[in-house]
Amino acid sequence: MKEILKLKNLKKHFPVKNSWGTDVALVKALDGVDLKIESGKTFGIVGESGCGKTTLMRTLLRLVEPTSGSVILSEEITGNNFSSNKLEELASEELRNFRKQIGVVFQDPMGALNPRMLIKDIVSEPLVIHGKTENVRSRVIELLENVGLGEEHLYRYPHEFSGGQRQRIVIARALALDPKILVLDEPTSALDVSVQAQILNLLNDLQKKYDLTYIFISHDLSVIEYMCDRLAVMYLGRVVEEADTDELFSNPQHPYTKALLSATPSFDKNKAKIMILGDVPSPINYLDKSKAKLATEITEQEKLEISAIEGKGIDYIVRSSLNEVIPLVQISDGHYARVKQQ
Amino acid sequence: MLEIENLKTNFNTYDGVVKALDGVNLKIEDGEIFGLVGETGSGKSVTCYSALKLLPKAGEVVDGNIKLNGEDITNASDERLREIRGGEIGIIFQDPLSALNPVMTVNEQIGEILVLHQNAELQKLALEKEIPTYKSEKWKASPGVEFTIMAFCISFISLFVMLGQWRFSLPFLFVIMLMILRDYLQRENPASALDLMVIDALSRVKLPNPEQIANSYPHELSGGMQQRVMIAMALAGKAKMLIADEPTTALDVTIQAQILQLIKDIQKEENMSVLLITHDLGVVAETCEKVAVMYKGKIVEQATVDEIFSNPKNDYTKGLLEAIPKGGKERLKVPNLEEASVL
Repeated sequence: MKEILKLKNLKKHFPVKNSWGTDVALVKALDGVDLKIESGKTFGIVGESGCGKTTLMRTLLRLVEPTSGSVILSEEITGNNFSSNKLEELASEELRNFRKQIGVVFQDPMGALNPRMLIKDIVSEPLVIHGKTENVRSRVIELLENVGLGEEHLYRYPHEFSGGQRQRIVIARALALDPKILVLDEPTSALDVSVQAQILNLLNDLQKKYDLTYIFISHDLSVIEYMCDRLAVMYLGRVVEEADTDELFSNPQHPYTKALLSATPSFDKNKAKIMILGDVPSPINYLDKSKAKLATEITEQEKLEISAIEGKGIDYIVRSSLNEVIPLVQISDGHYARVKQQ
Repeated sequence: MLEIENLKTNFNTYDGVVKALDGVNLKIEDGEIFGLVGETGSGKSVTCYSALKLLPKAGEVVDGNIKLNGEDITNASDERLREIRGGEIGIIFQDPLSALNPVMTVNEQIGEILVLHQNAELQKLALEKEIPTYKSEKWKASPGVEFTIMAFCISFISLFVMLGQWRFSLPFLFVIMLMILRDYLQRENPASALDLMVIDALSRVKLPNPEQIANSYPHELSGGMQQRVMIAMALAGKAKMLIADEPTTALDVTIQAQILQLIKDIQKEENMSVLLITHDLGVVAETCEKVAVMYKGKIVEQATVDEIFSNPKNDYTKGLLEAIPKGGKERLKVPNLEEASVL
């Protein structure tokens, strides 16, 4: 196993200010994330909105500065040319070199493409910025052919393409600088299933061809299961379970993972149902000690929902039981989860 | 319950006529959950908007019959349509935050529907409990007007005091005193019949502290709560049928499971018919009894859920089912479709 990136106790806390400008609370978007990302594989990150997936992606690219902790880069990325292997210590020129190695594909392709730019300008923009100005046209055509488009698409605007084709253009642009890592932030959630299948196949082909490492963020578990080799489940800024995909899907340990797996709509009607009750908790941690703690007892809403599904033979877990912080323990080789040990 | 026969809807665009619906036949029985599946642009939403005459200006129904409980509503008057929308058919939209009015409290929004469709009930409740029907606070304008009057008075008072002519400020002071006195005298008012019915509607969708939620604005609620408020609004008019247009697309999977369960529970309790429009075949498999698959403005296959997933007949349905990753790492089959344009 060869690591390409290592996250060490990564934390990002956003301050919440009151109208006087003093800090009253912290949003713990990332609260101690340890991950190792293997080279040439697909690493998946799952979780619901507000759990810190996107902040994790942004800290990986150093678009936001982490509060503490570090991202450690492997030799494959630094190539022994950098002054440090810690991302937060890189200065401007090295940071630019580092960003060449990571491509990003965002969720909404229409939002990621400038509607007033031609496709040739969109795809060649990273090349121009990084000073690779020779043979731009042939390189752009090569990139477009890689993703199943062609020369005839060079002089068109983004609105002339369908959703799937736009996502292909975004992927072509992300690959322009031969990156080692591709961060995919919900690349198919805006697409229909048939187009989604095309894009997933394309991503798999590209990975084989260029030996890419994918960091795949999604909330669609069927897509995650298909694409990823290893998987981390996030909840409230923490990784609650991490394992190889097969292991995680066959033997989930954390109650949230179990609920998440069973909540995904499926064709199997006999699948055991575990409902997760209550609303998504707010990640705000008040500095004032009296309201600092998240409820660990059953709340009003959860009581209502429990009474609603009582006697219907549905298993449930309540959100308030997930708020307690439990240390990560090893279940088996490479399988970690935050569960209480017997 | 709802019967759609040979419905054809066209959209007139600068590039020509788009046949959004090309002969759709649907029949939704009493007390069943009916799923309508299809990809973007297949005409799922247009079907329900055509049925309720909610099409934008460019769209027009060219042909077909729509029957609600045996009554032909194809050429119904605007008045009758207003009765149907909200009164007999409730609708839930995809994105709750854009469907709810951001400057109205939940109380006001649900109240609007109750006043329009449940007025008789309201009067009855008010008589029974001997409470006012709509507002229990007398002599009170809307919050905006109240605030403006107050600000007006205070600024004039300060103006005259600054000019040294304090006598002129007395009438304004008097107005402020009257407003304070009015609020003081009505400090312990009973809730109106409308308030009670709003709270009743909110507790039907399993919302905690309905009194508190009734007084909050949509942005103060979480996505799941907003969608529950939308469902409460759709049910407030005692509708016998619910049209849910992608009700869970904007929500997380865990919240999606809660909302689907809620829709199922309510359907059973009230014996409603539900038309669930979605692009997610998994959602259909879990909630619906019957399904219709739409493609290019036509229904290509219609069957019970078990049948369609175990034994799909149509090529398009087969392709759609094969395109979903299901465990396994083998290459996904891409259905052989031309670009979904209906021009």
